[in-house]
Amino acid sequence: MTAVALAPSARPKGSVANRIDRVFDRWSMIVYTLLAVIYLLLPVAVIILFSFNDPPGKTNVVWHGFTLKYWLNPFGPDGLGSAVVLSITIAILSTLIATVLGTLMALALERYQFRGKSFANSLIFIPMATPEIIMGASLLTMFVSIGQPPFFPLNFVTILIAHIMFNISYVVVTVRARLAGFPRHLEEAAMDLFANEWQTFWRVTFPLILPGIVAAALLAFSLSIDDFVITNFTSGMSVTFPMYIYGAARIGIPVQVNVIGTSIFLIAVGSVALTTLAGRRKRG
Amino acid sequence: MGTFLKHHRWITPLALLAPGLLWLLVFYLYPALQMFMASFWSGSLATGFTFSLSNWTNYPDAVSTYAPIYLRSVLYAGAATVTTFLIAYPLAYTIAFKGGRFKNLLLFLVVAPFFTSFLLRTVSWKIILSDSGPVLGPLKAIGILPQQFHVLASPMAVIAGITYAFLPFMTLPIYVALEKVDFRLVEAAKDLYAGPWRPGGAIVGAIVGGVLMAVLGFVFNTSPLAFAIVGAVVGAVLFHFRVSESFVRVTFPLSISGVFAGGLLTFIPAIGDYVNAELLGGPNTSMIGNVIQAKFLTENDYPSASALSFVMMFGVLIVVAIYAKILGTEELSAAAARA
Amino acid sequence: MSTSDKLTGSPISRRRLLQGSALMGTAAFLAACGTKGTVSPAPTAAAAATTAASAAPSAAAASGAAGSAAPSAAPASAAPTATPSEPMIPNGTVANVVWANWPLYIDVDKNGNHPTIQAFEKKYGVKVTYKEAINDNNDFFGKIQPNLQAGQPTGWDIITMTDWMAAKLISFGWIERLNPAAMPNFQANVKDQYKTVDWDPDVAHHAPWQSGMTGIGYDPKVTGSVTTLKAFFTADPRWTGKVDMLTEMRDTIGLTMLSLGLDPSKPTRAAFDQCITALTAAKNAGIIRRFTGNDYSQDLSAGDAVLVMAWSGDMVQLLVDKPGLKFSLGADGTYGGMLWSDNMMVPKGAAQPYTAELLMDWYYIPANAAAVEDYVNYICPCRGADVVLKKLDPSVASNPLIFPPDSTLARLSIFGSLTPDDESYFNTGFDNLINGA
Repeated sequence: MTAVALAPSARPKGSVANRIDRVFDRWSMIVYTLLAVIYLLLPVAVIILFSFNDPPGKTNVVWHGFTLKYWLNPFGPDGLGSAVVLSITIAILSTLIATVLGTLMALALERYQFRGKSFANSLIFIPMATPEIIMGASLLTMFVSIGQPPFFPLNFVTILIAHIMFNISYVVVTVRARLAGFPRHLEEAAMDLFANEWQTFWRVTFPLILPGIVAAALLAFSLSIDDFVITNFTSGMSVTFPMYIYGAARIGIPVQVNVIGTSIFLIAVGSVALTTLAGRRKRG
Repeated sequence: MGTFLKHHRWITPLALLAPGLLWLLVFYLYPALQMFMASFWSGSLATGFTFSLSNWTNYPDAVSTYAPIYLRSVLYAGAATVTTFLIAYPLAYTIAFKGGRFKNLLLFLVVAPFFTSFLLRTVSWKIILSDSGPVLGPLKAIGILPQQFHVLASPMAVIAGITYAFLPFMTLPIYVALEKVDFRLVEAAKDLYAGPWRPGGAIVGAIVGGVLMAVLGFVFNTSPLAFAIVGAVVGAVLFHFRVSESFVRVTFPLSISGVFAGGLLTFIPAIGDYVNAELLGGPNTSMIGNVIQAKFLTENDYPSASALSFVMMFGVLIVVAIYAKILGTEELSAAAARA
Repeated sequence: MSTSDKLTGSPISRRRLLQGSALMGTAAFLAACGTKGTVSPAPTAAAAATTAASAAPSAAAASGAAGSAAPSAAPASAAPTATPSEPMIPNGTVANVVWANWPLYIDVDKNGNHPTIQAFEKKYGVKVTYKEAINDNNDFFGKIQPNLQAGQPTGWDIITMTDWMAAKLISFGWIERLNPAAMPNFQANVKDQYKTVDWDPDVAHHAPWQSGMTGIGYDPKVTGSVTTLKAFFTADPRWTGKVDMLTEMRDTIGLTMLSLGLDPSKPTRAAFDQCITALTAAKNAGIIRRFTGNDYSQDLSAGDAVLVMAWSGDMVQLLVDKPGLKFSLGADGTYGGMLWSDNMMVPKGAAQPYTAELLMDWYYIPANAAAVEDYVNYICPCRGADVVLKKLDPSVASNPLIFPPDSTLARLSIFGSLTPDDESYFNTGFDNLINGA
């Protein structure tokens, strides 16, 4: 891909200033991006580093020495393993469902004019502005008022319902950013050729909005896997990974939590890096 | 089927909207309305609560008591949104236009930190920014900073924490919007509007740089004016040479829907955030989220907690409405497309 | 007393107490310092618990035959019962129970199992679902409150809550009354000072799980010796801006009251107002860095805080992170610290109150209490646990922060009960202080 300069030089070619400008063009954005990525990843680097720490006591905030023992026993503390599995399962399911529901809503809101649109719009924005505690507590009240088992035992299902609920808004807004000002003429052309809305959607619209959907799914996943307040209210007797950490913080977060945090991060980055590289080889 | 859809145009949007909308109606709106009723309660958990419309006074009571905290929340969330935007836009721009084959990986790296626990990341920041930690320690040792100086437990720490926490919420929508910008359009624009943005670049750069450095000056307790002047000069130079007329006229307007979305995705949750203030702030940095949390959980004062929440939510809706009126995503992008 | 670091294998193991004695600022405790016996590995204690458990049935058979003699005979004696009594009630059926507790608050072996629970399960042939589901009193209350208010079961058979929250739940009538006949060991072995709480006068609704002290935690390398609570309110370059106080209202207000010479066991609005004035002044003077929950331990560990309102159990364990830290109740005669407990209770609508009572009673068998104490390091409410521990783990048994002598306990205050009105007055005032409203 050709590099795009924000400001093409207006000066005559070949001059020293022009050369400096070109070097600046070429590197400034790269350096900036690297700095930004470092800023984003610095805390993660510390988390990784401290997963090898060997603290004598319960706080894991000062470096004491290198050890592998927590990596060799990642699910040592009781309940940690099941909490991680629960969180990952819920994050994946809620991301999938919320992304589908949210994308459909984004299409409807961006593509069609209809009565009640502003109501639908408000209903999407307002959950983002609702304090988590209000959302969590009101959901809990509703689940309880509907009744105990068999209707709504507070467990996996209620957590999932809540996560889908708060994820939808974020998906809609992100996908709409992609759809706004979308080149409709492509779809119209496709419609003329294929004359089928379904095919047009899958062959033209969907590939074009895919980056938006992927971005939305990433957001949803990150929101779900780290949610504490709403989950805490709707979890009943289940314990998720964030709940475990908040609870453990009272006594001291076990180093294993760093190990698991690191593992999730590395597995995710590793798989994306692999697909990126695979795609690269295919094209090359 | 095709003819059916053409005759009943309302069916498609309804069908698309229905599942998600239903989910929000049942699992958000219905419980939220119940909570709204709670804002008209009086009484206490011990004596029981009673509903009466005359309890609308809960609203003015809550607002008048906590007006300074609302103001603080708006300031912190606003500052964090602006900072997030300044960091995220160039980042999203680079990923979208220069990311090449690393686009996906870079995009993923923006979000990846948020797959690890927030609490752990905050602990990390506390390790990094500790009073005598790897950053401040050496600066204090060589005398650049006074011994008493600390970043943690200050407003700056809270704003920085929110900025960090919501950076992907700003970056992703901007990226998504930029990514769809037709590259040929940018090329054509460059021919049309060659050269730097005059005089806008210098002016905007001076303002942005000046304000940012002035804030830093305040934080470091040195002369804000000197900081502001340096910032203004650097900003003006940087923006003058780095921001082209074609960018301002074409690329930026085309990405405005992303900026709009990113702004909302950052500002709205930021204003209700309470965790950053709790973990990184001091005794005078609480936001309205902390108050609501305390009212609800410690004081079991459900009416006040509810009233405070709904004031905040109404406020946000108004901001969204104004924001949409001024920026008007659809109109703006349509205009850009025509140009 | 410097080699304790080597004893700590994993974060699971909490046996890092050898230096604990050194924490106490007062000379009285320094005497207890020298003991550093061999520390037996955790399973030993657990094994002892199991043996004790399996020994029980025979004794029980005897006392069982004598009807309800055991429970009524026991409480009179101050000494712990030598052999655990067998709970007996007619028609009591045992079934699986569910217990909500705080994380890392019970004995754990290398495989992540809880030996004392396993022993209970084996003895009674039931399953105990032990969930570390409580991370905050208020959060947990918010979670179970709708069920209790609606008269529905919460799903828990035992919940573990701090005094004031226990008081609140009991006052709402949301806690089952315990059957003393099912809890002979509890009747016999609960220490006296736990029998006089004003929110549950006949100790009919709760059984203490663990206790702790709130006092002054400090880093003497930075602050020098701190022996007065007044330090929290005195600007001093050594600690200004590095003082953490607790978000737990009763702890912070309690210690503030003590520093002002007021009595936290009889909290009045006037006394509370005086405290808020003092705290606001300290806040405005920049003395207070922040109000925290348990994460003051991180601040202390990293050196971001050097003078904090601290919990004794935390300080025992923190000492390993940062040797040299001190915990003090103040040397000045009028000063002291706060005593609090986390209490096991059976919420209304629990499915298996009888088995829950048996399980609560289980932890008043000294051997079981000792196994828990050896791991948890807070203050043990069960009489006789120190006797068991003296053989297994003398360092724990002689640690004044885990088994405080009566002279220490006498200096501690328990925050008095508040009327609902006062409770809301105190909470609102305190929240406004810490939220800067």
